[in-house]
Amino acid sequence: MTSFVTSRRGLLAGAATLAGALTVLPVRVLAQNARKGVLKYATLGLDTSDPHRHTGSIAVQQSYVEALTSIAANGAVEPFLAESFAVSPDGLTYTFRLREGVRFHNGDLLTARDVAANFERVKSKVKGGWLVSALQQVSKLETPDDRTVVVTLDEPFAPFLNLLSELWILSPKSAGWDETISLPIGTGPFTFGDWQPKVKLVTPAFADYWKAGAPRVEAVEFDLRDGIDKSLALRAGDLHIVSVDLQAAQDLQKAGVAEISGLKDTAWYFAAFNNRKPRKPFDDIRVRRALMHAVDKAAVMNFVGGDKSIVTNQLVASGNIYFDQALHDADEFRKPDLDQARKLLAEAGVTPEDHTIEFVSWQETHPQIVVQMVRKLGFKVNHVALDDIGTQKRLGQYDWDMSVTNSGPRSDIFLRFVRLMSDGPNPVLWGGIQDPELDSLIKQAVREPDSDKRKEFYLQAFRRTMEKGYFFVLGHAPDFIAIRNGIKGYDPGFTWACHWASGGVAVTAIDA
Amino acid sequence: MARVLSVLGTLLRGLVQCACIVMLTFLLCRVMPGDVVDVLGLEGGLTAEQQAQMRHDLGLDQPLAVQFGDWVTHAVAGDFGRSIRFDRPVMDMLATAVPVTLRLTVLSFAFGLTLALVLALAATARPSRLFDVLIDGVNIWSIAVPTFCAGVIAILVFSIWLGWLPVIGGLLAPVLIIGLDNAGQIVKQLREELKEAVTLPHVRTARAKGLSPWRVSVFHVMPATMGVVLALSGLVLGSLVAGSLTMEVLFALPGLGSLTLNAIHGRDYPVILAAVTLISVSLVLINTTMDVLHRLVDPRLA
Repeated sequence: MTSFVTSRRGLLAGAATLAGALTVLPVRVLAQNARKGVLKYATLGLDTSDPHRHTGSIAVQQSYVEALTSIAANGAVEPFLAESFAVSPDGLTYTFRLREGVRFHNGDLLTARDVAANFERVKSKVKGGWLVSALQQVSKLETPDDRTVVVTLDEPFAPFLNLLSELWILSPKSAGWDETISLPIGTGPFTFGDWQPKVKLVTPAFADYWKAGAPRVEAVEFDLRDGIDKSLALRAGDLHIVSVDLQAAQDLQKAGVAEISGLKDTAWYFAAFNNRKPRKPFDDIRVRRALMHAVDKAAVMNFVGGDKSIVTNQLVASGNIYFDQALHDADEFRKPDLDQARKLLAEAGVTPEDHTIEFVSWQETHPQIVVQMVRKLGFKVNHVALDDIGTQKRLGQYDWDMSVTNSGPRSDIFLRFVRLMSDGPNPVLWGGIQDPELDSLIKQAVREPDSDKRKEFYLQAFRRTMEKGYFFVLGHAPDFIAIRNGIKGYDPGFTWACHWASGGVAVTAIDA
Repeated sequence: MARVLSVLGTLLRGLVQCACIVMLTFLLCRVMPGDVVDVLGLEGGLTAEQQAQMRHDLGLDQPLAVQFGDWVTHAVAGDFGRSIRFDRPVMDMLATAVPVTLRLTVLSFAFGLTLALVLALAATARPSRLFDVLIDGVNIWSIAVPTFCAGVIAILVFSIWLGWLPVIGGLLAPVLIIGLDNAGQIVKQLREELKEAVTLPHVRTARAKGLSPWRVSVFHVMPATMGVVLALSGLVLGSLVAGSLTMEVLFALPGLGSLTLNAIHGRDYPVILAAVTLISVSLVLINTTMDVLHRLVDPRLA
């Protein structure tokens, strides 16, 4: 009898244990079983193992590190490691409620103290970048409990939530935390694995990832090689998701091997003038306008983005909340007008044949088209096409007259405007504008908590750039992404990020 | 003694060449527009002041002679420094890249030399129109078809159309292409040498003794042409280092060529200098080794 009771107890205990295990194990076991294949991904590179030291266009590190917020495909801010956030009416206090049960790759639970440590690290140790200037305004950082972080700013800073989408939260136990992180321990769906700079990064799936059912592949292998023909590799099945140019996108679509999509935020193309040390006669707004009247914007943009390109005069494309239809409709450079160009030159007393335009660009095709167009007015053009760094260096010398370049998607409109400020980072593409009035308008926009008023300040700032003729927008085009047939669940996001709260590589599966 | 001095002289000449190459590379790096701080500034959004501070921290604001002297002092002690872009020891990066290049060059060389020897020996042992046509074909292919063209064709046919080989990272296609190119460069000369060696008295004696044509070719004709084989191998190995760099880029092999090219793009001076030093020292060692071997097998050169 006793033995029966014992057996029954044992049985009950066993059953309870089994039931408990069945409630806990399935999600993990099923998720592991559901993971299939290695996703091969090749868009942008990875230049550092320290996520805090990289800003701008990044497409890899989101797979192993996450932030409090992320940018949804429509450009809106969405909660990520923070399950919710609240902003005080004066725009000074941000309260983040952290998601429960989020674990770092070393098994530790994410706490408010970890988040605060990351804020402190970026604020005190990282030089340069958009985040630093944002974090300099943080006057108080509080962690009332394990899941709440309260951030108080000195003054309102509207882009704060968007910019936090690039403040990666890492475990302070990450190797190299005090200097340069060599082995980042994040919370992402994949872990930082074998990294060979400019070759590849292998990121194995993280079994304890907080989102149920994710990730859906065993690993992501990021191909970081420069100069390879990604479209051919995609055709051969060596790669699954790649960035491609217009020609390759059209070829892949024709071949029926991939679906072509584009980043939801567009890259903007523009012609800029030397604003820091302008030479005569290119310091004259009439000459600048004359040059723009010679440019067939539609032809240039068609070359860049085909039927996906947009001809406009603004920093953002239609559909974006900062797009202004009236300004777009009033674009005087929508179509080329050589007569108007010659009239302006005559007004300015300029004989084009007497002048050589020092023209700088990257080694791309569309600036050459612009060069041919401005030559029609009679100007001689000395076109210098350099690689990325050469262009950056040459533009920084301010010994040129005109340039044609472009800039990619950003998590917030401020990151486009900050380059136009007198002390902004990397202002060379826009000719190094030095305009206190413009700075003031942008600062007012940044400090304005009300979105309608903020839009108006940004619009005033942009109108000023046009009136002054600092640069002129040619148009917009998406960065094309090819997704090989058989890859399910992936659609490019707003920026180059490979993973965000509502999409990306965590929810991508390989079907074939 | 004279032989040792001669070898040392060759080695010394090579080392002086190396030193000149490294110095020239150092200077060329500095006349390229933009430096590594511009790269980091571009990526990290650094202000002009921060960039100036970084140049100071990295010693890039020192006179060129001081920078070069500093680098040489460390390099001689085996310390190639750290990659400025990736903050990793340059030796670690070389250790990852060198095996890839070594695998590619050794396999290509082995395939090319074997193919050339087999064709030349076969044509000597069993003279026939077929072997002559094959030898001419391989020779003309190597003269007429640049390796990068053959690479593109191989990608199109074997990777895209047939789907047999990967576009990126595969070793088979580049090995076959470089090997075929190498074979073409030496097979004709080798054939002529063997043809001449057949008329040598000791070969005639061997044939008169009734030895099989293959035995005569392998054991009597071939040793007589070893000097030429070594000389040709030296030439091929020298060009192989340059040829493999092209193939590495085309087939996206993460070897020394790709590492150097990326370092140039990123103005990563420590990596550029270390890679160029390694490549030039390798070439000097190859040439010296071939020279020594040549002297060993041919007493007339001693």
